[in-house]
Amino acid sequence: MKRDATAVGAHARPDVALRLAAIRAGERAAIARAITAIENDIASARALSAALAADAGRAHVVGVTGPPGAGKSTLINALLAEFAARGRRIAVVAIDPSSPITGGAVLGDRVRMHAAGAAESVFIRSLASRGHAGGLAKATRRIVDLLDAAGFDAIVVETVGAGQSDVGIAALADTSVVVCPPGLGDDVQAIKAGILEIADVLVVNKGDQPAADRTEQELRDMLRLRAHRPGWAVRVLRTVATTGDGVPALVDALDAHATDAGRGRRLARAPAPPAATAVESRLRGFCAADPYQRLNALEFVESGPGTVTMRMRVAPQHLNFNGKCHGGAIFTLADSAFGVAANAYGVVAAGIDTHTTFQVAVSEGDVLTARSLEVSRNAKIAVYRVDVTRGDGTVVASFTGTVFMTRRPHQARPDDLRP
Amino acid sequence: MNKPLPEPIPASTEEAHVRWAAEYSAQIGADRAVHNRSGIPVRPLYTPLDVDPARFDADVGFPGQPPYTRGIYATMHRGRTWTQRQLIGLGTPAAYNARLTDILGQGGTAVSLIPCNSVFRGYDMDEVDEELLGTCGVVANSADHMATCLAGVDLATTSCAMNDPSPFTLLAFMLATAKRNGVDWRTISGTSNQSDYLSHYVANHMFFRLALPGARRILVDHIRWCNEHVPRWNPLSVVGQHTQQAGATPAESMAFTLAAAVQYADDCVAAGMSPDAFLPRFTFFFDVSISFFEEIAKFRAGRRIWARIARERWGARDPRSWRFKFHAQTSGVDLTRQQPLNNIARVTAQAIAGIFGGLQSLHTDAYDEALSCPTQFGARIAVATQNILREEAHLTDVIDPLGGSYYVEALTNEMEARVLAIMADVEAAGGMYRAVESGLVQRRIGESACRFQERIDRGEQTVVGVNAYQVDEDASARPALPKPDPAEMRAHLGAFTAWKAQRPAQAVAAALDGVARAANDGDANVFAAVVAAAEAGCTHGEICGTLRREVGFGMPLTVV
Amino acid sequence: MDIRPKVLVTKIGLDGHDRGSRVVAAHLRDAGMEVVYTPPWQKIEAVVKLAMEEDVDVIGVSSLATDHLIVPKLMAALRDAGLTDVVVIVGGIVPDADEQALLDVGVARVFHPGSPLDEISAYITEATARVRAARFPA
Repeated sequence: MKRDATAVGAHARPDVALRLAAIRAGERAAIARAITAIENDIASARALSAALAADAGRAHVVGVTGPPGAGKSTLINALLAEFAARGRRIAVVAIDPSSPITGGAVLGDRVRMHAAGAAESVFIRSLASRGHAGGLAKATRRIVDLLDAAGFDAIVVETVGAGQSDVGIAALADTSVVVCPPGLGDDVQAIKAGILEIADVLVVNKGDQPAADRTEQELRDMLRLRAHRPGWAVRVLRTVATTGDGVPALVDALDAHATDAGRGRRLARAPAPPAATAVESRLRGFCAADPYQRLNALEFVESGPGTVTMRMRVAPQHLNFNGKCHGGAIFTLADSAFGVAANAYGVVAAGIDTHTTFQVAVSEGDVLTARSLEVSRNAKIAVYRVDVTRGDGTVVASFTGTVFMTRRPHQARPDDLRP
Repeated sequence: MNKPLPEPIPASTEEAHVRWAAEYSAQIGADRAVHNRSGIPVRPLYTPLDVDPARFDADVGFPGQPPYTRGIYATMHRGRTWTQRQLIGLGTPAAYNARLTDILGQGGTAVSLIPCNSVFRGYDMDEVDEELLGTCGVVANSADHMATCLAGVDLATTSCAMNDPSPFTLLAFMLATAKRNGVDWRTISGTSNQSDYLSHYVANHMFFRLALPGARRILVDHIRWCNEHVPRWNPLSVVGQHTQQAGATPAESMAFTLAAAVQYADDCVAAGMSPDAFLPRFTFFFDVSISFFEEIAKFRAGRRIWARIARERWGARDPRSWRFKFHAQTSGVDLTRQQPLNNIARVTAQAIAGIFGGLQSLHTDAYDEALSCPTQFGARIAVATQNILREEAHLTDVIDPLGGSYYVEALTNEMEARVLAIMADVEAAGGMYRAVESGLVQRRIGESACRFQERIDRGEQTVVGVNAYQVDEDASARPALPKPDPAEMRAHLGAFTAWKAQRPAQAVAAALDGVARAANDGDANVFAAVVAAAEAGCTHGEICGTLRREVGFGMPLTVV
Repeated sequence: MDIRPKVLVTKIGLDGHDRGSRVVAAHLRDAGMEVVYTPPWQKIEAVVKLAMEEDVDVIGVSSLATDHLIVPKLMAALRDAGLTDVVVIVGGIVPDADEQALLDVGVARVFHPGSPLDEISAYITEATARVRAARFPA
């Protein structure tokens, strides 16, 4: 406790060096305060993140995802007890959904985690998703980097648990655990196209229920049909989180995967995007050369690494027969922010799939802003998420899109395309 | 000029109704929609058109006969009024005994015992924060403590209500006391008031709870053992009070209570017990709010539904199995901290609703309950309120005096329909046990609680002194929290730890081992082992701790 | 800077009447706040650890049945842990005679039964602005 008291004194001073030392020393209060700064995008947090970047890459980042009711939180509780028994220091980042209407959230995972959470070797932080899709909160990656630098042996990230959409975890975690409740039945069909594919370890929790046998068999069958990643055969395990049965074997599997796949995977992903300024002028050029964007009076606002922001004022031509903004107009804005961002890498990116949810009606005169974020990218496929917000900050639509990265360079320089 | 006079006598009820409706609309203009707390729309007038006279026998009938709408006994309050049961408990066993003697001397006719929150939570007094001991109930941890609590009370003739959640240690301590005093267990009467473990999961998280499967098993053991050994004891009180206090509407509260009772009876039947062996000892415990007519209709509808279920679901033949016996407590949720003396008026209105609803036993809240645990002064007024209603107000001259009221009969029918619809939802979810496990019940209660608070905050529901008719008050006039005498409590604690240390360790260990073995043996009776442990000198905390280890502790299944 | 308040709603001690804490937690969520909610019966050390790790702006303690009597212990534990800048409020049944004792040990405010929910959320919003300005000076 005395250490923590010192830490509070430390972060009261705007002295980055002192705070760095406190975080590296694993001081609870200093870590917690730095997470708040990152989560709220406070300017000083950027310097801190940058300074800590070199320390990251030591911790084993374990993502835990799965459909609601699978028992993720109870399983994490049991994992914490097992990790503690093996003398490891663990941080948990648990993400809960924010209301799309009010932005409020109840971070209730504590309800199930508090037994293990009381241990000194455990640090638990809940984050609200704040409208971020993919089952994670926007700042999750930077927070994981911070906890990594703070010296935790493992960092467990629990996703929102909304099901298929929680694939964002694969880009962040070294090891992805997908938790399934027994008796998924038809649901296995439904989710296997989504989150099951990111699993390094599949867990059938509540393994003492009668349906567990069948579920385990279904998962094994499914794996047989699937192409394996070289070097690692996906493991299927059975646990009863409430009693701890099967949890030691799960930790063994996590350790084996960490040995096999290494740590700090998130740090090695995707080359850094090209410098912003040069890219931005090219992207502005794309927009200026886009007749459909002009038709809809879209405006390019700014771009950054993996992100593009565009704006549209809802005019009479955007309305539907109900007098509200047409969904197609909102889609056009989101799709443009997505398409422009995906084309920042010098090759033609072709959209192959999108999904949009409309959450709030939009009226004439509203100014809509679409901001795209790159969720993941490899040589062939990139995934983007776009939030469309109204002037008051309300998220009115959420969009996800996937592009295929062709090898074709853009045929002409944008300047040449200008009318 | 005089207006032309209408025809003096309308030709038919229908015509008169149309004429009234026209005049009503013309005078009142845009009528406001009125709904009761259960969400049932309430019309401005009820007439013969709202009830079907052909259904008198099926829906209303006579007291003491199916459908039991008008009461479970032929004589009802004209014959015997109701048990005046004031729930009390504060401080040390000696302080409790002094308070109990005072209440019994003022017209109280039965014992009730509320233990300290530390007891509710399954701990002995040496396991919790000392500041909290005895602030909300009596600190009773052993058979010796119970003997002090009940000194001077004839257990063979006085009905005792124990606020005693699973594993029912207080009853075990009382039985140990009775045996020492030579009282035959077969003469002992009373109720295990907090035996409804499901309600503790969904609503009132005050109690020690075993994990759901363990709690389920021990309740069946308890019912079976009491039926055999203490046949006049009511081992089960199904509690609607918890859900309604937690925010359920009166209709939801009645529905969840009946659904829980159905679950418990199903469990007993599944364990091989005969319905007519245990149903006569089922009792109910409800909150009665200030929504006057709604509460009356709630009780009338509940009585009707239970009698029907008992006959149709389990084929019970004994009329005692059909009777819906209930204790009611005036609702603390309606009481206000502001202008606390106003609460006397609220409690009076609530109590009358309960009486007209046909209750068998009544607790009236003290006016200062929204400020603190009640003071002795507040408790006295609560008792006097009952005495006035019973003996001055002529409320008991006629059985079911509101029976036949167009409004009350129509509302009873509507409440019944609403309650049955909610019960059907629970049944569809697999019964009450599953509906609690899945959080369905908690979610509904949470939503209703928020809706009710929002209505008050928006001023749609007036609460005098809170959102209307506020006055500047002299805060010093409010009573202080009665706290147990710290010196007495410290002495009580000291004596307890000293006694604990000098007990014959082997006998205690053997009895606790008996509890543990019973918990792991499906053929044993856990409650029998608890009684044996109480007699062997085991403490409350030791018995609860043993079961906590053996069958698991139950966390609240809370839903925001 | 986003000043969406982060609030811990909890109950310490022995009592389990949690209607008040649930209603308040739901209201704060609907008012756009991020609410860390715990079931009743939390141990004081657990509340301190949780408040520190979650870095909450405000702790709301609900007490209906005399658990306010151990709030001074909570305040001392928060102080010992260095959590001096978190605002602690108490809601529920607190007799007048005990209220001053709570204010004396650093409780910022006591909300009694009948307090409008909007009053509670408005107070938390304002308190959070103060807390954040001190924690993250511009």
